[in-house]
Amino acid sequence: MKNLSRRDFLKLSTNSLLALTGALGIGGLIRYLSYQFDPTPPSEFDIGPATDYPLNSHTILAHIPAIVIHDKKGLRAISLACTHLGCTIEQRNFGFECPCHSSRYDMNGKILKGPANRDLQILRVAESSDGNLHLFTS
Amino acid sequence: MTTTPKRTSRPKTLTHFSRFMMAMFIAVFLLIGTFLAIPTVQASPQAQATSTPAPQVTPTFDLQRLEKPVIASDNAEQLKKGSIVYWGICMACHGDRGQGLTEEWKDAFGKEDRNCWNVGCHGYDHPPQGFLIPKDKIIPAVAGMGRLRRFQNAQELHDFILANMPWWSPGKLTNEEAWQVSSYILSLQKVMPAKFELAETNASAIRTQYAVPQPGNDRPAILILTGILALAGIGMIAQDLRKNKIRFPERPNFFHHLHPPTIPAIQARLRYTLGAGGLAVLLCLLLLVTGILEMFYYIPTPEHAAVSIEVITSLVPFGALIRNLHFWSAQALMIVMSIHLLRVVLTGAYARHRRLNYLIGLGMFILVALLDFTGYVLRWDEGIRWALIVGTNLLKTIPWLGNSLYQLAVGGPEPSLSSLERFYTWHIFVLTLGMIVLGGWHIFRVRRDGGISVPPPDQRKDNMRISRFDLVQREVLMMVIAGVVLLFVSIIFPAPIERPITQASIDIYNARAPWFFLWVQQLLKLGDPFLWGIAVPTLLLVLLASIPYLLPQTNESEHGQWFPRGNRLAQVLVIILGLTLIILTLLAIMPTTQL
Repeated sequence: MKNLSRRDFLKLSTNSLLALTGALGIGGLIRYLSYQFDPTPPSEFDIGPATDYPLNSHTILAHIPAIVIHDKKGLRAISLACTHLGCTIEQRNFGFECPCHSSRYDMNGKILKGPANRDLQILRVAESSDGNLHLFTS
Repeated sequence: MTTTPKRTSRPKTLTHFSRFMMAMFIAVFLLIGTFLAIPTVQASPQAQATSTPAPQVTPTFDLQRLEKPVIASDNAEQLKKGSIVYWGICMACHGDRGQGLTEEWKDAFGKEDRNCWNVGCHGYDHPPQGFLIPKDKIIPAVAGMGRLRRFQNAQELHDFILANMPWWSPGKLTNEEAWQVSSYILSLQKVMPAKFELAETNASAIRTQYAVPQPGNDRPAILILTGILALAGIGMIAQDLRKNKIRFPERPNFFHHLHPPTIPAIQARLRYTLGAGGLAVLLCLLLLVTGILEMFYYIPTPEHAAVSIEVITSLVPFGALIRNLHFWSAQALMIVMSIHLLRVVLTGAYARHRRLNYLIGLGMFILVALLDFTGYVLRWDEGIRWALIVGTNLLKTIPWLGNSLYQLAVGGPEPSLSSLERFYTWHIFVLTLGMIVLGGWHIFRVRRDGGISVPPPDQRKDNMRISRFDLVQREVLMMVIAGVVLLFVSIIFPAPIERPITQASIDIYNARAPWFFLWVQQLLKLGDPFLWGIAVPTLLLVLLASIPYLLPQTNESEHGQWFPRGNRLAQVLVIILGLTLIILTLLAIMPTTQL
């Protein structure tokens, strides 16, 4: 560094400035591309009055997706999104199976067979002030 | 319960003051009355359900809620003005929180004013005779969950308010007041970004049903970037001044290898080439990059096109910069290409074996004009409406081919969803691909034809050569300077955008053609659209294309200088042509006399 002449210094600083411009440009690019305009999806769903879910009924709500089960143990909801990579699982006689990678779950959402390694998410259901049931996905 | 409102230093109007005194009097009177009355007065369940401090006595005036609002947290002037307009005109019916004329809100006014269909309303800003609301009229809430659903965005809300509000005197609000009050209503709705000024160029980006992320201020970052690039440019100029002392690397890099090892120094004279060809390459690259970036957000459907552009320019970080760069690069390219064409003709550089490349260049000129036009149409806002209709209808006037060409460009009986999709495909794919092919061919031909036209070696005054290291350095310097200028222009002048095209709108916002077609617009005023809009411009192109084939050319020794004797006729021709186009353009800009 002792031998850094004036012209080498000039060249070094010019190149650094150009590199800095490039780095800033890339930073701006990342900011530009990571803007999110669309609204975040709702985490609360109005699923209608409780009378729509009588005792011993299984109701699939495809838009959430979730299944609402009303049995002796009460009213509960299980998410139908596979815990592996998120496909909507299908009902089978043993419980549920994922059409994408064949993960299996029992009727209560417990994992039976991989590749998924977690049970299905149990969703909270609560009656709100307007008398309708509300389902919470988070 | 009723607190004394803060007195501002500004003198209040008499109406306001007397209203305040009257309200105060009644409030005190009622307060005393409550103590004297049976002490089992219950607050109404309605009032208890709300989150506001429940009035202990109903009905009564709730002075705090009727007080002129003060907005301190947001420094948007529009929002503050909007809160005053809302307070004066809208609040009486639509509520202090936008809740509508609810029972709870009526209670805030006191007994006499509860029945707006029996007692004329006399608000702060209402007509002297007041107005009655019909009993069957439902006064909608303007804020809260699921409210304002009939409006997608602030633009639609503003248009409705401007046309229909206030209910008792539609059209009373000025355009500016409608923006102000829209801003305030959307802030009650909690979807208005802070420090955001609504206008026709950005209102479509603000949604009524959900809050968009708060846009940041990226101007300082852009200025810093521009400054650093400018400093780098100064550094390069300083190096260039000492160029004979610069040590170049022994091994050329990729960019060096795109150039010949050495070229004659007379080929690299800026006063001869004007750097126009190189600048055109830079602008094309910039257009490609910024265009790809715009595609990440642009939505090519009639409902979303202009809205998505407003999102890019007013919400996305650095979005305005990218769009402005795209716009200004396109405008600059049009000018730089014209200069390049003029230079080639005025130096007679197109002679003999170079005439093929002249034609390729002319082909690129046509492609750029089409790219500019299609890109302009992609805005799909009120500003392009008439240019689109005129431009496509012109195609129809061509005998025999007209209808097929119209179908090819528009994709249907009239401009619609399919036309936008077609213009998009033409713009981003077909024409761009054509530019890449012709551009590559053009540059290859320059190299194959021996670089910039200069006399053969034995007839040159100076046989100095410069290395590709030197050449690349000069090119980079030119690009840095052009980049800084473009950045500055993009910071200062925003690219145009107007409100989205809606079926309902009939106002002619802007019936002017894009500037590079103004001369055609002026010609079209002369009469038959096919003759003046298609035949004459085509004839001019044919004339330009035939210059190297029909008119006398320069001889080799004349190359490398301006205005050689050999092709004087061609020079006179393009100068006349250029002046004609400029005069036609100026005529088109000049205001027409009113009859």
